[in-house]
Amino acid sequence: MIAVEAVTRVFGSGAGAITAVDDVSFGVERGEVVGFVGPNGAGKSTMLKMLATYLLPTSGSISVDGYDVAEDPLEVRRRIGYLPGDTPLYADMVVEDLLRFAARAHGLRGDRLEEAVEGTVGLCGIEPVRSLRVRQCSTGFRQRVGLSIALVHDPPVLLLDEPTHGFDPLQVMAFRQQLAGLKQDRAILFSTHIIPDVEAVSDRVLIIHQGRLLGDGPLAAQAEAAGLPGAGLEELFAHLVSASGDDHGPGR
Amino acid sequence: MAPAADTGGRLREFAAGAGLVAGRELRAIFDSPIAYIYAGVFLVLSGTTFMNAFFLEGVVDISPWFEVLPFLLIPFVPAITMRSWSEEHAQGTVELLLTLPLEPLQVVGGKYAAALLYYLVVIAGSLPIVLMLVWLGEPDLGMILAGYLGAVLLGALFLASGQFLSSLTHNQIVAFVLAAMVAFLLVFSGHPRVVEILDGLAPSWQPGTWLAESVSCLPHYQAFVSGLVGLDHLLYFVLLCAFFLWMTRIGLQRLKY
Repeated sequence: MIAVEAVTRVFGSGAGAITAVDDVSFGVERGEVVGFVGPNGAGKSTMLKMLATYLLPTSGSISVDGYDVAEDPLEVRRRIGYLPGDTPLYADMVVEDLLRFAARAHGLRGDRLEEAVEGTVGLCGIEPVRSLRVRQCSTGFRQRVGLSIALVHDPPVLLLDEPTHGFDPLQVMAFRQQLAGLKQDRAILFSTHIIPDVEAVSDRVLIIHQGRLLGDGPLAAQAEAAGLPGAGLEELFAHLVSASGDDHGPGR
Repeated sequence: MAPAADTGGRLREFAAGAGLVAGRELRAIFDSPIAYIYAGVFLVLSGTTFMNAFFLEGVVDISPWFEVLPFLLIPFVPAITMRSWSEEHAQGTVELLLTLPLEPLQVVGGKYAAALLYYLVVIAGSLPIVLMLVWLGEPDLGMILAGYLGAVLLGALFLASGQFLSSLTHNQIVAFVLAAMVAFLLVFSGHPRVVEILDGLAPSWQPGTWLAESVSCLPHYQAFVSGLVGLDHLLYFVLLCAFFLWMTRIGLQRLKY
């Protein structure tokens, strides 16, 4: 469903140019939950923005369900549900109106629109805030509203940037269960720097550091290959960063 | 028949997307008390010019209202457009908007249509003056209609340039100042006193006359107010509006790079 081939993204030009994503390739299939892990500034959000068609790659190609993000951005957008980082929402809009706006933008009308809105309100647990304005919602509910916008059109691909940001421990547990349910017929890629989130729900883990992909595969298999059988993600990450020779921290 | 049907379908799809954005924008505009305050202040200020001439000088004519309108629109229209895009940039909602399956032109057109509708509603607030004129005498309704067309086109131009300038910045105040400066230049470069001063600076080049004839919106607007609905005047406004809207679209595309 998602195919990323040798993608590089550079911001700026000349001496001040910053390479946020450096020659990254990976794929995500239907029925997979893939965790995208790395410290702040590693390039996770930039990669998701490119998948969501908000940014274009400087080089390389990205396709979603066979559609290229540069050639067919509208077709890509019809197939993705995207939760941007920091969950930007129209603060003055009523939650339900915002959800209807997103559903209509995806072409839903009439009964299909009503079913989609009611189903998503229930699925994301935003019934208590559906009549409130976004600015009246807590951080956790804002995050759920963002998730409901990503889900309202039942997309086959979900791109979630830090989806548990602002959640309390109970909400995190509920989200993990939700993700397991959603993955049945979807390709899900979510970014996070919260290690337990990745270990709990990911079928595969992409480890990114300073724009470069250091690891791709199930956590256990990656640990085994690194000669660290049974190691956790934290240990594996430290090992991969050290082995890559880029252990001077993020944010170049 | 197929290509025509296809074009019709695409147009309907385009209109549906632009209408969706326009609906959201209109709700946002009318949800805010600022919209009503702006409208109230604008109508009071513009109405005062008519009432002064009417009560103090006994003039039963809407011309004073049309004469003062361009100068009032210099701060009024930028106040409408300043939040249009800069707020989207500042709150990050531009990312939400531009990753929905909508063409950039649908989004630009929708936002513009909403601002234009709000402006039309405010301008319509002056219609009691026309009703009063009809009640008191026999005004030239054709000339009044042409004046209103000029007022709509002038507002449409300032809205298009204001939205473009708002798309360049995250800061609403910067967007307001830039839009007011452009509106000021477009109006005052056609003002007779300014033209005279500029022409006096370089009599052989006549820079004031050149600016008034080729840049300023004032002569084109005044042609409408005097009842002259010429194609050249109409094209001036339509082409400049299209230019600014297209530039806004290009600006959105550039966010990807």
